[in-house]
This record gives sequence, structure tokens and C-alpha cells, in this order.
Amino acid sequence: MTNTLKGLNIPLNRAEGDLEIRVEIDNGIITEAWSAGTMFRGFEGMMRGRGALDGLVVTPRICGICSLTHLTAAVEALEAIAGIAPPDNARRLRNLALMVETIQSDVRQAVLMFMVDFANKEAYHDHPLGEEAQNRYNPLQGRAAIEVIRESKRLLQMVAIIGGQWPHTSFMVPGGVTSIPEISKILQCRIILERFRSWYERSMLGCSIERWQAVRSRNDLDIWLDEKPSHRDSEVGFFIRFARQAGLHAFGKGPARFLSYGNFTLPRETAVTGADGRLLPSGFAAGIEVASFAAAKITEDVSHAWFEQGSKPVHPFDGTTKPYASGQGGKLYSWIKAPRYGGEVVETGPLAEMVIAGNPLFRDLVAQGGPNVLVRELARLVRSAYVLKPMATWINELLDRRQDDFYHAVKHLPDGEGAGMIEAARGALGHWVKIKDEKIAHYQIITPTAWNGSPRDERGVRGAWEEALIGTPINDLENPVEAGHVVRSFDPCLVCAVHCLQKEKKKGALLLGLKQ
Amino acid sequence: MKGAIICIGNRLVAEDAAGMAVFDQLRARDGLPAEVTVIEGGLAGLNLLPLLEQGGRVVFVDAVQGFTRPGEMVLLDRQQIVNTLGGGYFDHGSGLAYVLSVLPQVCDGDLPEEIVLVGLEGECTLPTIKRAAELSITLATHGLKERT
Repeated sequence: MTNTLKGLNIPLNRAEGDLEIRVEIDNGIITEAWSAGTMFRGFEGMMRGRGALDGLVVTPRICGICSLTHLTAAVEALEAIAGIAPPDNARRLRNLALMVETIQSDVRQAVLMFMVDFANKEAYHDHPLGEEAQNRYNPLQGRAAIEVIRESKRLLQMVAIIGGQWPHTSFMVPGGVTSIPEISKILQCRIILERFRSWYERSMLGCSIERWQAVRSRNDLDIWLDEKPSHRDSEVGFFIRFARQAGLHAFGKGPARFLSYGNFTLPRETAVTGADGRLLPSGFAAGIEVASFAAAKITEDVSHAWFEQGSKPVHPFDGTTKPYASGQGGKLYSWIKAPRYGGEVVETGPLAEMVIAGNPLFRDLVAQGGPNVLVRELARLVRSAYVLKPMATWINELLDRRQDDFYHAVKHLPDGEGAGMIEAARGALGHWVKIKDEKIAHYQIITPTAWNGSPRDERGVRGAWEEALIGTPINDLENPVEAGHVVRSFDPCLVCAVHCLQKEKKKGALLLGLKQ
Repeated sequence: MKGAIICIGNRLVAEDAAGMAVFDQLRARDGLPAEVTVIEGGLAGLNLLPLLEQGGRVVFVDAVQGFTRPGEMVLLDRQQIVNTLGGGYFDHGSGLAYVLSVLPQVCDGDLPEEIVLVGLEGECTLPTIKRAAELSITLATHGLKERT
């Protein structure tokens, strides 16, 4: 007998105050999904008419998690307009700050937001590793949870040094950076980084970064897992063992198309190597077939979003953000637009970066098992292993070359348009800016969560995590933890919102369940 | 004893902007007691932790919901703030209650000797914002017990 449930709301408020997922379930399998961003942000409208440099101050305050990321995109857009490049030392400092923010976000997301669901007693009381998961990940108590908060806090000291102030630094400006750290401070950064790397290797990987980087295939991964207790007991090893037994490799596929803008522009003279002048290359991939990236192929579709209707999908240089929340008989259902690349829905984030950069392990995992929850979250857990060494190199280069420039004076920002396109922790982030008469005439932002959490487009094609939810088994309708795993494997971030203290518990703040 | 006034909130979201309004008042004020520093905590969330490892008094200023009548102020101590925490789950919007709950377990320096929150409920008038600014200075200088 068919058992169909329609219009089931799955509150994901624990992850994000402003995200709602609605699904249809047929015989315990999700057959349809709608993802709604429930808050209009409208930052683009706030920017118009402001001074040309205001994006450097306003956009880092869009989000407390991605503050430096927005700052980087904003400054790169202005430098594109001015046709300038900052000196090498500024590149090093900017990259280091952005990498700290990414690492911090990754380890916190993995342990505090994703793996905390492994400690969900109702869902995993029969899982052989369930009790151990509670010891590691229980909120405010779990061993790993506390460690991650402590160590990510210590790493943050690097940003305070590099940015010259904390919080809310705007140390990146067109032409470079505003402060030059003393030698003693750069040395302090080196100590902080070495200490963090030591913890990351010991606790997260259970091995050296070099040993991890030798894992180049699914077969290598199995050998690594069996090699030593320290590998199996590390957070990465435990994640893999738990996730395999929970079947997280069997669902959450998504569109199986990937997008990365590339990241971390290399200094002109550096020992760090990359591709096309960046540590991480840009690209588009269908499965693991990588093609070059063309920014002109990006469009934003508003056919199912609460914005003024009528226009065809347009490039963000031409797009507008005009809210319109009425009419259309329920067709419109999200405050998130639907970005598309060449008309296609794509996934962005650490897994996309790995596939497009040609990481052999993740290309093999995707080739053998397709994208899935396990592979997507694993990419986030181990991304730090690929950036900690370049960070150390750049710190050493700063020590050797501190007498070189950190800033090239930019006296005037001309009229024009430019884009800042980088990789935030959650994936591709772009700022598209037009300046006229020294004022902002146009500002469009596409966040990674807009890519991953978009609604349907004009062809009715689902957004990335809407698609990833299809086929997900829900074992307990009262506790649909599997749907949470799928969405959280994309690391959704819609918050950018109200953080004030509330006497009453937030609706849906505690459980991913159906009774909220 | 030194005191830090940490104003938190989001100046781009009206219902969460009160802390930033107080910050602007404090910055525009002529002269602050030498032992008092004013910090724009903004949306730092968990990244407020490094500001809470230096002992002394810490006065937070933030918008609140559900504590008093709109337009009024409320004072909450550390325990009252922590009591607002739900299940202790971390999310991208995790705020002060989460930060203070986890602080004792992760602090590398000296815990604050006193933590207090000046909460602003709903839309506040400029005179209320100014009173909150002056109150935060008094609390940072003299502490909650002496004031009461």
C-alpha cells in the first residue's frame, strides 16, 4: 500500500533561523522537496547611492560567519574596477585571513552542526557508535565539541593580528591592506598556526597532513582507515565509520554538477603553486568532467522567488532585487533567487572545489559513488589539510619580505563595473559592483547558499539541495534526521539576521522534527 | 578594575540594531573613564570569546525580546543570560547565551569577574539609547552590586 505524506514541513531552524524545508514522502522516501528562505535581506538596495568604498564596511557586517569573505569579495570588485592589483604582501595577508575564516567555519560546522546529529539519541540509539558519538558531540559537553571551540578560537588570534583590530576589521582596501604587522606579530602568527596544525593533525586527522595527502583513492581511504587506531579514532576516521554505518553514502546526490570561482590569488613571487594564478582553480564540472569557467554564464532566475516578476534570467550585472510577495497562487515560495550556470543548477562548496581542483581522492569517490552526504561533508572536514601548508609558506615569506610593499596608493576610483568572485567557506561568493560618480550605482551579491539552496527555476528544475533531498529515506517521521544530514552537508547559511537574546525559546530551535 | 562595554547586534536589521545605536552614542561621547573600553561586538557570536579572557567587568549591550515592555531597558546577570539557552545547539545565529555557556570550558585567560547585559526591548527612543549608554559606563566602572 502506498503511504504518501504531502506538504510535510521539516523545520531546520536549529541550523538556520530562516530556512524551511517542505517535502513529500512516499513509502518512507522523499519524493519532492521545496526549500524556502524565509527572510528578505535586501542588502543590494541598501548599497545603492552610498560612497564607492562603503562596500568594504557594510558587506562584512552582512554575516558574522563570513565577514572577511565578504570583505575580500568587496575589495576585489573595487580593484577590478580600478584595474589594479595589490602588492604580494597584501595578497599573503588577505589569503591568510580568509583561510583562517574558512578553517574556523569548516571545523565548527563539521563538529558542532553536522556531527552533533550523530549524538541524536532517538535516531541513533541502535547505532554501534551512537554512545561514542554522544561522548564526542553532545552540545556544550562533548569532548570534540569543546576542543573545536577552543582551538578555533585560538586560531582566530591570527585575524586580530593581521587585521589590526577585532572584531569587524576592514583592513583590506583597494591597493592592499591598511596595517603592517610587526615581525614579532608575524612570528606569533607562525606559532598560532603551528599549534593549530598540531591539533588538527592529532585530533581531526589522526595523522600528518603529508600522510593524509597520500590518500588518493577510495582504496587508499580504506587502507588509511585500517592502518592505525589513531586514524580510526580521529574525527575524520570516526566520521567515516559512523557515516558508512548510517548509510550516508547512499543518498544526498544533488545535481552532480559543480561550480567553483577559484580562490586565493597567488602573490606574483611565491613558493606556493596553483593554477591560473590562484591556489584553487575556477571551473565547472559535470560529474568529474571539468570545463573552464565563464563568468558570463551566470544568471539569476526569479521565477519562483518573491521578487518582481516578468524578466528573464539575467546576469548579476543586470539584475535587480525588488521584493514582491503577493500573487502567483503559491508558485513563489522563497526569498532566495535561483542562480544558474549556463542555465543549469549546480552545487558549490568544498566538494566542488575538490573535484574542480582535481583532488584525486574526491574525484575517485565521486566517480565511484557519485556525490552524496558522506563525500560532501568529508570534503569539508579535510579541506584544512590542503591549506595549512600554503599558510605556513606565506607566513615565512612575510617574515623574509616584510620590507616590501603592503599597499599601493589608489587616489581615485574611476567609474566602471567589476566583480569580486571568490570561494567562501560554503562555496562560490560574488559581488557585482558598478560605480558612477564615485557612488555605488549597482550592487548584486550571490551567496553560496543562494546557489545551493535556491528554489526552482523557470524550467521547474529544483535547486541543489532540493534535488539532493529526493530519494532520501526517512526512517522516523517524528525525527527526520536524514533530511537534516542532506541539507547540512551543504552547510546552509541564511542567518545574516537577528541575534538578539530571546526569553522564549525560538520556534524549532531544538529539534529537527515534525512537532514544532 | 578595568571594564569592557561590548555592544552587539546588527545595524542592518532594525530590530537588532539597538546595541549598535548605543555603541555609536558611546563613540560620540566626550571622554570615557580611562579603565573602560568600548568594543563593537557586532555579529561576532562565538568569536566574542577572546574578549572574555581578560578578567575585569564585561557589560554587554544588545537588543532583547520578551523581557520587558517595548522601549524599556532590562538588566540581566550572567546566569539570567545563560538561562535563555535552549538545548545548547550551536548554529550560525548562536548568540550570547551560547558564548557564556561554553566560556568556562574554553577560556585560556582570566574569566570576567562580572558579566551583565543591558538589554533594550523593541524600538527604543534616543533618550533610552542615551540612558543605556550612561548605564553601561556606570556598570563597567562600578559594577552591578555597587549600583544596586
